[in-house]
Amino acid sequence: MSENIFNRARIIDQNFVSLVKKGEFPTFKTNQRLSELNISPNQLISIFESQVISRHIDFKSRELKNKGECFYTIGSSGHEGNAVFGNIFEIHDMAFLHYRSTSFFLERSKKLFGTTPINDIALSFMASSEDPISGGRHKVIGSKELNIPPQTSTIASHLPKAVGTAFSIDRAKDLKISERNLKDDSIILCSFGDASANHASALSAFNTASLVTSQGGHVPIIFICEDNGTGISVPTDPKWIEANFSNRHCIEYIQTDGLDIIDLINKTRLAETNCRINRNPIFLHMKTVRLMGHAGSDIELGYKSLKDIEIEESNDPLLHSAAILIDSKCLTIEDIIALYEISRDQVKHVFEAATRRPKLELSKDVMSSISANYLQKKTPKPVTNKIRKNKFGNEFNRLGIPQNMAKLINYALFDIMLRYSNTLVFGQDVAEKGGVYHVTADLWKQFGARRVFNSPLDETSIIGFALGFAHNGFIPIPEIQFLAYLHNAEDQIRGEAATLPFFSKGQFTNPMVLRVPGLAYQKGFGGHFHNDNSLSILRDIPGLILAVPSNGADAVKMLRTAVREAYENGRIIIFIEPIALYMTKDLHEPKDGRWEFKYPNLKEEISIGEFSTYGSGNVLTILSYGNGLYLSLKAQKEIEKQLNKKIKVIDLMWLSNIDYSRLVKTINPSKNVLIVDECRRTGCHGEGIMTNLLSYSKKPLNILLHAAEDSFISIGKAATATLPSTKSIVKNAMKLVND
Amino acid sequence: MTKERIVVICPGRGTYTRESSGYLNSSSKASSDEIKWMDEQRIVNKLSSLTQLDLEPFKTKIHMSAINASPLIFACSLADYLSIDRNKYEVVAITGNSMGWYTSLALGQAINLKNAYQLINSMSSILKSQVGGQIIYPIVDKSWKIDELKREKVLHKVKEAGAFISIYLGGYLVIAGKQESLDLLLKELPPIDEYPLQLPLHSAFHSPLLSEVRDKAFSLVHKSIFGKPQIPLIDGRGYVWSPFSSNISELYHYTLDHQVTEAYDFTAAIKVAIKEFCPDKLVLLGPGNTLGGSIAQILIQNNWLNIDSKKAFIERQNKIPYLISMGLNIQRNMISL
Repeated sequence: MSENIFNRARIIDQNFVSLVKKGEFPTFKTNQRLSELNISPNQLISIFESQVISRHIDFKSRELKNKGECFYTIGSSGHEGNAVFGNIFEIHDMAFLHYRSTSFFLERSKKLFGTTPINDIALSFMASSEDPISGGRHKVIGSKELNIPPQTSTIASHLPKAVGTAFSIDRAKDLKISERNLKDDSIILCSFGDASANHASALSAFNTASLVTSQGGHVPIIFICEDNGTGISVPTDPKWIEANFSNRHCIEYIQTDGLDIIDLINKTRLAETNCRINRNPIFLHMKTVRLMGHAGSDIELGYKSLKDIEIEESNDPLLHSAAILIDSKCLTIEDIIALYEISRDQVKHVFEAATRRPKLELSKDVMSSISANYLQKKTPKPVTNKIRKNKFGNEFNRLGIPQNMAKLINYALFDIMLRYSNTLVFGQDVAEKGGVYHVTADLWKQFGARRVFNSPLDETSIIGFALGFAHNGFIPIPEIQFLAYLHNAEDQIRGEAATLPFFSKGQFTNPMVLRVPGLAYQKGFGGHFHNDNSLSILRDIPGLILAVPSNGADAVKMLRTAVREAYENGRIIIFIEPIALYMTKDLHEPKDGRWEFKYPNLKEEISIGEFSTYGSGNVLTILSYGNGLYLSLKAQKEIEKQLNKKIKVIDLMWLSNIDYSRLVKTINPSKNVLIVDECRRTGCHGEGIMTNLLSYSKKPLNILLHAAEDSFISIGKAATATLPSTKSIVKNAMKLVND
Repeated sequence: MTKERIVVICPGRGTYTRESSGYLNSSSKASSDEIKWMDEQRIVNKLSSLTQLDLEPFKTKIHMSAINASPLIFACSLADYLSIDRNKYEVVAITGNSMGWYTSLALGQAINLKNAYQLINSMSSILKSQVGGQIIYPIVDKSWKIDELKREKVLHKVKEAGAFISIYLGGYLVIAGKQESLDLLLKELPPIDEYPLQLPLHSAFHSPLLSEVRDKAFSLVHKSIFGKPQIPLIDGRGYVWSPFSSNISELYHYTLDHQVTEAYDFTAAIKVAIKEFCPDKLVLLGPGNTLGGSIAQILIQNNWLNIDSKKAFIERQNKIPYLISMGLNIQRNMISL
């Protein structure tokens, strides 16, 4: 085999020019003639121009990759039909795009005058810090001005949020949310490949769209499946997508030929009209080919025969488009060659200029958009007491009476929903039932089904809703029923929500406060999945704020801060509520009532990173949070008795953004530090806290980590066997001080 | 030999000044068929020929009046364009400022020369008397970087005064309005050197006050004179009119409507020129080179070629000029036949 066989880009390029010059085109795909349709020649030519520029971008990016200048070569070749989507849909139709969407991007740009799409894509491919969407952090197809949030997903993890965004449009209109940023008649576009359609998150999205629609909800989304028949190296059965999606409940299926721009225009118009009017989901199946392999580094000959590759290439969408343009007398062969070569020259110069633009170098610059963290909006003022009284009803008079954590969080949610009209509460059982632990009790009754609603039993779609609603100006306050269930949907936080500001230079945000009842120690309700005691998946996500209150009053103040941070700074806050403390009333003795608190004044908040200190002794400091804090306070009494000295107990409250300098100062002059962590030892926050204290403290510290065993939670009497207890805390504390 | 790629920029009204006297006649193309034809048309219409006008002592009332200024500027720009050495330079796009849009249409062959000449005359003669006016005001600091705060304040004042942004002109805003609005702004905008400055004999171009011009233009100018350009044209919104996909009807409507009654965004046009075409050079046609400062300010705004200040621009120009102003002899000679 000669070396040339591997350089498919060159072969495709040469084939296009020579076949067009000779007038040799693939079998004509369309039986519809332009003159019979409401399609202007200029529209077709414009689409073709975007297709050609996109192709040259693929060629040039591969060439520059070989020179070490370009950092992304997953191309759009074969998928140039998506230029039609860029042409038909409006800019206000937010688009969550597949990575082979250069043609779409170029064509949509023409609707917004003064944009510079070739330059912008070049800067993104070259990882220049001047890239307007990601600032050189990633090659993404995205643009704030074109309403294309950047997708970092290489799978289908963007589908759930696309469904959420679609669901948000009519909801925002009905609720008259002033913060909404999508027009009332907008629809949502979401593209993905045939292989990605098998992904769990994709299936969650289709299912949710279908379910909501069947219940009468509006989900105006067009799922665009760009089916090239191959997932990297694995073939997709040619009938699979159609068989799987042509008969989905409440999702209209439309198939189109990605090689035939006339068919594409007609079917896309049909999809657009139906979706915009009916506000229901549509599955637009674009069958196409993939040229030049999966990416620049992919050698297709390793898994496909040369014959098969050549058959695909003979169906080059550009050849099909050229044939249609010539047949329709829109352009001559000479025009097409001229357009092709002028485009090559334009892309060459723009891309080569982009190689000379600056790159990110310093970690501080890379990290400058981990969170948007700038004042986006000013928090609204609290409502009057008259309005509060009306919503709270009889409970208003009970605000001054000490209550448990579940009740106090419920009150806090009332006030938050009153103050922020763009907040929503949703999750499994949160509406009529008011949540498993009644934390959301009566919210549905008082704020209505549009703001408080039950979600499908699918954590991916719950968080997908949150991301989507947040894209349209809402502050979602979703609930994941139990901490263990969060693991089903972890990537929606880790891969999607948390990365959005990073990959968009903070231009896009998806603020939310995700409430998660969790952790162990529940009496009479044992078993691992309702008592999961691991927060480690939330430990290493940059930009995430993690709150774990230990009592109701703190929980209220922290929740207020969380919502304000989401509203003002676009932050994502995970709010872990220790279930075992929801109903706890007493601390040391039965009926001492020391774990019930009055509802804090509306102005009271606890800032992120703030911690509270119980006691003032110097011989020992216990650091803890959540249930561990509660147990440590119980143990404090016994330890002080045994030592005959006072000790300090610190409630960290926020497990992210810990101010270690201040923490070390607060611990001083204690030398002994006991970290009580109720989560499993491996990967628990205590590990990191221990390491950080050692590095921040100028004096030697004697630190002991007392964490849960690396075990799942059992039931019955053994439910707490692997966890820190008052007794074990006392024992470890004494050991630490005495050794 | 590889040709250098250039974007040509056509200047607008107000660029033929006292210093421009004799400019047309100094061009090697002053005696070209195209200029001769225009001169003949002028004589038939009992007007001084353009080459004659160019030789006469400069008088504001004569040389800056609509009936003379527009064709004179068009002729100077055309002569400059014709003199570019096309063996060495390839024109990859054409753009212009304000009236320069009509010149762009002609040079890009979206309208033939004769029709372009008629269009320019028609558009400048529709107004029998001046309607409103234009003032110009800077929004840059000393290093020619945009002062965003100042920009916001000026935009606010313009709105308050009931005036309009006429042209986004790099580091300047050209403001259009009725005279009472402009008088208010002349009084309220803090003086900076000679600014705010009212442009003599200028109407409230590129503003809704010229809706009458638009209406008359549609009855005077027929769509059939428009065609697809042969070279990409960048309009006063930063939109690129392609030689292949341009919609002629939309081009006609843009030229007679939006371009006449809404703000002209020269800043966007130059941004698109540099970023989407990446020319080796920008070539500003004559007369004069008053647009040079604005173009430099747009380069600075975009940090183009690492030009991030007036000083950096001057340094770059002193080494290998990126902006060639044909109104400057030394630079003109670099590019002319």
